[in-house]
Amino acid sequence: MICAKNLSVRLSGKLIVDTLSLTAKAGQVTAIVGPNGSGKTTTMKAISGEIASTGELTINGDDVRALEPWQLATRRAVLPQATTIAFPFTVREIVRMGLSTGLNNDAAHAQAIAAKALAAVDLEGFEGRFYQELSGGEQQRVQLARVLTQIWDPVLNGMPCFLMLDEPVSSLDIRHQLTIMQLARDYCTRGGGVIAVMHDLNLTAMYADHMVMMKRGKVAAAGAPAEVLTDAAMEEVFGCRMRVSGLPAAGTPFILPQTAVL
Amino acid sequence: MTAHRLRLAAGGDRTALARLVIAALAVLTVVVLLLSTATGASDASVVDVALSLVSGEPSSVLSQRDRIIVIDIRLPRALLGLLIGAALAVSGAVMQGLFRNPLADPGLIGISSGAALGAVLMIVLGGALPAALLGLVGAFALPLAAFVGGLLATLFLYRIATLHGQTSVATMLLAGLAIAALASAVTGVLIYVADDRQLRDVTFWSLGSLAGSTWPKVLTAGPVILLSLAVLPFLARGLNAITLGEATAFHMGVKVQKLKNIAIVSVAAAIGASVAVSGGIAFVGIVVPHILRMVIGPDHRYLLPAAALLGGILLLAADMFARTIVAPAELPIGIVTALAGAPFFLWVLLRHRTSTGL
Repeated sequence: MICAKNLSVRLSGKLIVDTLSLTAKAGQVTAIVGPNGSGKTTTMKAISGEIASTGELTINGDDVRALEPWQLATRRAVLPQATTIAFPFTVREIVRMGLSTGLNNDAAHAQAIAAKALAAVDLEGFEGRFYQELSGGEQQRVQLARVLTQIWDPVLNGMPCFLMLDEPVSSLDIRHQLTIMQLARDYCTRGGGVIAVMHDLNLTAMYADHMVMMKRGKVAAAGAPAEVLTDAAMEEVFGCRMRVSGLPAAGTPFILPQTAVL
Repeated sequence: MTAHRLRLAAGGDRTALARLVIAALAVLTVVVLLLSTATGASDASVVDVALSLVSGEPSSVLSQRDRIIVIDIRLPRALLGLLIGAALAVSGAVMQGLFRNPLADPGLIGISSGAALGAVLMIVLGGALPAALLGLVGAFALPLAAFVGGLLATLFLYRIATLHGQTSVATMLLAGLAIAALASAVTGVLIYVADDRQLRDVTFWSLGSLAGSTWPKVLTAGPVILLSLAVLPFLARGLNAITLGEATAFHMGVKVQKLKNIAIVSVAAAIGASVAVSGGIAFVGIVVPHILRMVIGPDHRYLLPAAALLGGILLLAADMFARTIVAPAELPIGIVTALAGAPFFLWVLLRHRTSTGL
């Protein structure tokens, strides 16, 4: 379990995350949503241990700030929004990097895990391609495969591992959005946990077990999607007068991911 | 395109190729070392030189005169060439990994200028230092001054070019330009206060040359270079992770700040020691890693050892060229590397114009 209590982050003197509390349980997809600039990514960075913060912050009961980087790396893996690389790495070399620093360091298994991870993100046969030559969405999935290899087993020594995904589907087509969210769902089913910063509220409603809605660095609402996604919250947090589960006027097409047959 | 297909066939795994290349480079290093000690105004056969070096005893294979030329003049020069070439190429590869940019070269971004300034300051003003202090550092005074100069330049550069963990290449190159300008201005001031002997020594640094290599120079610069080069392969995995970004490297379990500190100090030491004996030799640090990345890929576990070997080979080859093309006179090696390296740098710049954000 990841537990943050009264978490605050100050960047260049400005309070970006303000006494925020959240818990992310193993077996659950926890989604952080909110308008641009509400502090979602900063919250994620603080929880991952990347940037300094004040307040309580624990992962499986241990203080995140007291753990060494390599210890943290065996308990959680982080997918950043976008990764540009200046050097000509192949897809395989990038994915294998995830294995080189985690505990999954057994050379015999490394090959198999890298292949499975690439298959999981629907990139079989991409091993020999150059990362720089891939599209944005493909690059995002290569990074996700790397992140997966870092904590391939969702449960390590009886403790759950956590995937921290910052907008994991932001540059993906609709089919791959579903693939990746399903992958996150499966990781939870197998005993791990997922924290994801999300923009797509339909996908969030479909896949999240727990939602944290942020506004100006604070938690505006938290709970199951059915409780959090209300007309009032949409207006209050996003400044958008709209109806949850409302239908558009007849004749206007609309496509919901919920209707996909997987 | 053929190379591209090869990589596809191997499923993106270039480790076997990398090992093969490193083995081939190791063999080539020995060959170039022998060639270099046998070539020159007084020609000795490669086989005779090899026999003489291996047996190590005054043999009848080489005449007494050839023996002195080979052992006391050419061998230290060749060894320094290998060491300095390795130092320049590996430092280039490490700085490029650290700055996440293929254009970061110790010569271009002002580290060599800083080191040269340190060396010049020591030559001209070193006499003013307390004798006790000079006695303490002895022959290491010059490399030490160059090291401190290089280190200060590197730290200064890193501070200026890095904001919130992101390093701006444009800022870095421009700051390097400023450091180089500052160094040459201060050197200019020092020239006014220097005496004739100091002036000659200072001029030597502005060109870069392996001429005047002696065993004492090998023994002062060699250990420093070898020690700093020995540290760097341990950073290879961390440097690989840093190419994905400093935050990502941290997420992958790398102690980023510690790695950066070790890398910067090692590079400054290697460059400082090199500059102290040979002056500034530009472009080796950019050409060698770039060629190798195209062949074996950017994985630092293989890139660093391969760069050390190829750097040594190229510098030694350039030195052979420099001292034979206008024989019996010789060109400063800095001129040879710049003539070959500058067009190469422009070509890299063109290729990477879009991806380097310049």
